[in-house]
Amino acid sequence: MITRVTTQMSMAAASARLQDGAARLAQLTERATSLRAIGKPSDDPVGTASSMQVRKEQAAAAQYGRNADDAVGWLATTDGTLTDVYNVLNKVRDLTVQAANSGTMNDVDRGALVTQFQALRADLESAANTKYGTRSVFAGSSTESSAYDPADGWSTAATAVTRRIGDGATVRIDTPGAQVFGSGTSSVFAMVDDIVADLQAGVDVNPRINDVDAAIVTVRGAQADVGVRHATALAAQDALKTTATTLENRRSGIEDLDLAKAVLDLQVQQTNYQAALAVTAKVLQPTLMDYLR
Amino acid sequence: MVSTFGSLATAYSGLAAARAGIDVTGQNIANAGTAGYTRQRVVQSSVPVVQTGFVRGTAALAGQGVSVDGIARLGSLTLDAGVRAAAGSSAYATARAAALDALESGLHEPGDDGLATKLDAFWSAWGDLANHPDDPGAASAVIGAAGTVASTLAAGSKAIDAQWTALRDTAATQVSQLNAAAAQVADLNGQIRAALASGGSANELLDQRDQLTEQIATLAGGSTRTNADGTVDVLIGGNPLVQGTESRALVLGGGTALGDGQAVTVGWATGSVGTVTLSGGSIGGALSVLAPADGTGTGGALAEASAAHDRVATTLATAVNAVHSTGTTAGGATDAAFFAFTPGVPAAQGLTVVPTDGDGLATRNASGELDDSFADALSRLGAASGSADSVWATFVAGVGSASRAATAESSLTGLALTSARTRQQSGAGVDLDEENVNLLSYQHAYQGAARVLTAVDEMLDTLINRVGLVGRS
Repeated sequence: MITRVTTQMSMAAASARLQDGAARLAQLTERATSLRAIGKPSDDPVGTASSMQVRKEQAAAAQYGRNADDAVGWLATTDGTLTDVYNVLNKVRDLTVQAANSGTMNDVDRGALVTQFQALRADLESAANTKYGTRSVFAGSSTESSAYDPADGWSTAATAVTRRIGDGATVRIDTPGAQVFGSGTSSVFAMVDDIVADLQAGVDVNPRINDVDAAIVTVRGAQADVGVRHATALAAQDALKTTATTLENRRSGIEDLDLAKAVLDLQVQQTNYQAALAVTAKVLQPTLMDYLR
Repeated sequence: MVSTFGSLATAYSGLAAARAGIDVTGQNIANAGTAGYTRQRVVQSSVPVVQTGFVRGTAALAGQGVSVDGIARLGSLTLDAGVRAAAGSSAYATARAAALDALESGLHEPGDDGLATKLDAFWSAWGDLANHPDDPGAASAVIGAAGTVASTLAAGSKAIDAQWTALRDTAATQVSQLNAAAAQVADLNGQIRAALASGGSANELLDQRDQLTEQIATLAGGSTRTNADGTVDVLIGGNPLVQGTESRALVLGGGTALGDGQAVTVGWATGSVGTVTLSGGSIGGALSVLAPADGTGTGGALAEASAAHDRVATTLATAVNAVHSTGTTAGGATDAAFFAFTPGVPAAQGLTVVPTDGDGLATRNASGELDDSFADALSRLGAASGSADSVWATFVAGVGSASRAATAESSLTGLALTSARTRQQSGAGVDLDEENVNLLSYQHAYQGAARVLTAVDEMLDTLINRVGLVGRS
């Protein structure tokens, strides 16, 4: 117990208390202006580790979001192309039916039909070489400049093109052209060539209608497959948006300071500091000197 | 029987004692604000009557006044020792806390400027490259992000090197201060011994010496031992730094750079060989932070931090290269490294990115197809267990905890020091109210003694001038 209180002691204690109050005020001001609960790791070592983990998850979710966007874009392009191919094949079928039913065609009529078939074949070829960005959607992981070359056929690619849309989830986005258009002599291009050849040779093209129907079924099947994958990517996109919001809330909860609380704390400390100043001014003034005459 | 003028002498001794009291009070008041000043008091005692014997009769006699015996210094050795011990612990903890605070501030975690964010950006860049393996933009983004990670690691590691060197320089300066203080203590010891031997007062010299021994304790801990002749010995690590009027010097030795991996030590400049174990003080705190890494993570904070940076760099390079080497570059090269190390410098400072453009990145499989599985696998390395990211996160959390503990210890020892100082000041500090009261009482004592003088004077006047005049007109 201290029984003797000296002037120096009171002065030192008062200045220490004021300094302490000023330091706390400065700390709270810094927190209130930055609104960050964790300014440096020692403010909350556990929170720092959590914050770094959440930031990592945020970065991953943002990346998966970009991947999903890319997958959706690629698959939408594929889907649109397949719709075009479907329409072209329907036109091929209509023309084939027309050619099969026109028993008496002169060369001019046949020539017109052949021209139309050849135009449709060109449409199919251009569809086969559809690109998303710099990549051919039907070429898979191949580095060839075009997916289908009339002379060389399909570029080969053994590896699928996938996009990662979650920690353990990937979606395949490429569609091998051979599966949609067929390859070699069974391709749709060979089919159209055969129809044209039959037409020019005067052979009945009626049996070719079945080939066209088979090709249409193949394209529809491929489109259904693309649709399923497209839906997966879209669902992932939505889920990732929700995840991003959740993660941002978690990050904010760990790192950020509640404004109302920060301002309140600051106000309380300011009042405390002013009170300490006023009290110190009152206590330190009087000495015996003031009362001696 | 007292002699005729004996009473005058008694009154005069009262006047002199009151004067001495006023002088000392004046000294106290004058030094009310002087750091390290210890209040003083006049020690006075009554002078007994000269012993009467049968020759001179046995009459009861008054004493012979007052004598000023000396000027006491109202300090307490125990409380002073308490302040020194507390100052040593406090300086030790404060030095550690300051170093760790600087270290963790340099990490910039958590936030956008920290390495964790740069690593996240690096992994994301691989993810983008997986989406567009043929895009030169995505490739240069990967190389750029890798360069940012490497430069962040290098900057962090170099900053730690710089902090280490600066701290060592500070410790060297403090050792010089310590040596200077020790020399002054030895000098003062001589002056104090001489003053005390000649019966004088050495109070102000003692104040100065106490301040110097406290400074030594703040710098290097240690203890003091008071000798019978008024000198003090200062012991550091059990050996005398100051012994009587002799002082010895300490030198800072050991490693001169963080890369040396050697402990920084304090040794004697002359005489004893070997290092001095410092029990506290700011030099002791600095040495504990400057200690080399010990492989178990319990070495000096700076060396451990530097080792953690190196660990992050090697873990990162090993993991990335392991996956990257399985792919094939656009040029057909296999087994290509992505990260390399400059030999001769710490791993964190020597981490370099090998590919300079997209052609150097393994974006293809053995048959030359654009295979995104390599870039995808690389983009997921950060989330793997034991990844560079987790090494970094563990390190940051560790530094945070250590800094928090050091700050808490620093404020606790600071409180102990304040408390010790308060107790010391309670005994040794000057209280102006008390001094005013003393001033009043000495003033009154002086007035009283003067009145006694007047009374004796008048008494003698009566005796000399008024006695024997009966009947005269």
